[in-house]
Amino acid sequence: MATVTLHNIQKRFGAVNVIQDLSVDIADGEFVVLVGPSGCGKSTLLRMVAGLEEVSGGEIRIGAREVSNLPARDRDIAMVFQNYALYPHMTVEDNMGFALKLKRANPADTAERVKKAAAILGLENLLQRYPRQLSGGQRQRVAMGRAIVRNPQVFLFDEPLSNLDAKLRVVMRSEIKAMHQRIGTTTIYVTHDQIEAMTMADKIVVLHDGNIEQVGAPLELYDRPANLFVAGFIGSPAMNFLDGKIEEGVFRTEKGLILPLPAEVSPAKAGGRPLVYGIRPEHIRASDQGIQGRAAIVEGTGSEIFAKLDCGGEQLSCLFRKRIDVRFGDTVSISIDAKQVHLFDKATGHRL
Amino acid sequence: MEHALTKRPLIRRKTLDRIGLLFAALVMVSPVVLFFLWMISLSLKYEIDNGAYPPILIPENFAWSNYVQVFRENNFFLYFWNSVLVTGAATLLALIIGVPAGYGIARLKADKAAMVIMIARMTPGLSFLIPLFLLFQWLNLLGTLWPQIIIHLVVTVPIVVWIMIGYFETTPMELEEAASIDGATPWQVFRLVALPIAKPGIVVAFILALIFSWNNFVFGIVLASRTTRTLPVAVYNMLSFEQVSWGPLAAAALIVTLPVLVLTLFAQKQIVAGLTAGAVKGG
Repeated sequence: MATVTLHNIQKRFGAVNVIQDLSVDIADGEFVVLVGPSGCGKSTLLRMVAGLEEVSGGEIRIGAREVSNLPARDRDIAMVFQNYALYPHMTVEDNMGFALKLKRANPADTAERVKKAAAILGLENLLQRYPRQLSGGQRQRVAMGRAIVRNPQVFLFDEPLSNLDAKLRVVMRSEIKAMHQRIGTTTIYVTHDQIEAMTMADKIVVLHDGNIEQVGAPLELYDRPANLFVAGFIGSPAMNFLDGKIEEGVFRTEKGLILPLPAEVSPAKAGGRPLVYGIRPEHIRASDQGIQGRAAIVEGTGSEIFAKLDCGGEQLSCLFRKRIDVRFGDTVSISIDAKQVHLFDKATGHRL
Repeated sequence: MEHALTKRPLIRRKTLDRIGLLFAALVMVSPVVLFFLWMISLSLKYEIDNGAYPPILIPENFAWSNYVQVFRENNFFLYFWNSVLVTGAATLLALIIGVPAGYGIARLKADKAAMVIMIARMTPGLSFLIPLFLLFQWLNLLGTLWPQIIIHLVVTVPIVVWIMIGYFETTPMELEEAASIDGATPWQVFRLVALPIAKPGIVVAFILALIFSWNNFVFGIVLASRTTRTLPVAVYNMLSFEQVSWGPLAAAALIVTLPVLVLTLFAQKQIVAGLTAGAVKGG
């Protein structure tokens, strides 16, 4: 186990800057998720920590050791790949024990450690099988087993669940989290799925175009997104954004919709300039009176109702937890929880 | 009723399709098949039947003596052994050189190196012969099998390299990355991961190199002496010394072709797979 420090990391492919001057500190035993849309540099960053990609500038430390220029085999890390990368010509047992065999570890000790890891992951009965004889979820477990057996300083996961079906993904998500809680190894996990990030991480690093948009605990990012990108990326369904200005103590959208403001915003300070009003769909409630909207889309899942309302030309996504009777074309009254409103500067995208 | 009506034309259609396909295949392979049948027929006929008109395909009496003659009048076993040694050594050396070379070229994307090897293959073999002949003479190797083994590498190495490039390019990079994270040195990655996975490719490269080397004629005719002849050269020499005695000649040709023919029949699936490897990504 170890801390991981990324200091002023840069990565260029030819003339293209993929990552510019990025720094992150990861504490010992922390579960950090790198999340962002595809092409944001998250996988490249992980591969640089792994030693599969050279750094163009900056330094990577694992514990006190500077590893930026060490080959992957000397970094004492383990990685789980998106397509599992199990050696097809080896049994599950050999796959899991491969790293120890390379280290010329005592075979009895290796077998013991493989057995222990297999027990953690429920693979005891599959040890003599070949990867092709396993299901997707089992392969995923073997890949994790291969990482556990090593007892490395850091675990790296590169979108490990994206090849699994939706149901299995949820199961494996909790298994990975449970494994981390049990073993406590420092973990860096890359995903484009913000739900995975929210549910698993101790700390989320949101990346966009090779830059860090925000670092923080999942709920911090949800409650206080630092900018429009994070606000739109974290949370599902995505936050509503409405352009407008503060006028006479209320927010007036470009199409004239009047919306309530949180108490801490001083209209004097923010008044006048173009702003973006953010409100999450789940913070809009159906009420007897308030803003009137016509339902353009209604989707019920049983536990909640998602509706897209047309409120005087502005589209508002709403997520109602309380079951209400609403159909396409109906008019609904809603109220917005002013304490949950986020305001952003339209020009910079930053939170006010 | 309705079911039967729709089903019958479909079956007829399928049968027609199958007949059409068989016919097309027959037209395409018939020259080769006829050639082989005629060779078999020739090898089993007495000299007198060869000139008969109308031609005889299946003689009344089989002339097994043609085969006996091949083995009696020539030092056929020596030539066979020469062929085994030359082809075996040239193929094994090509694997030892070509498999790592293919790996290196595929992983470093050294397309230019691949082109150089391709050019070596496309250059007529004869253009290598004269300088190499002089070289072998100077090295005093001409009475041995070594000149033939070495020059057969011109044929076998490019085949092996090209097939292995195709194979290694289709093995996922993640496997090797996983191995290097597991602590493998580049050499261990090659030996413990890349090589075992490429086993089917190596088999194909081996078979094709074997076939091309076995059938090679040009190099042997120039470089072989009386005692270092390979089989194709021996067959040719029968033609010159025996005048044209078709029976034994056809028998000898069949005996030479047989090992390769059998190999091709058994390994045709792998050969096709090997020749198209890399043609379709992920295929």
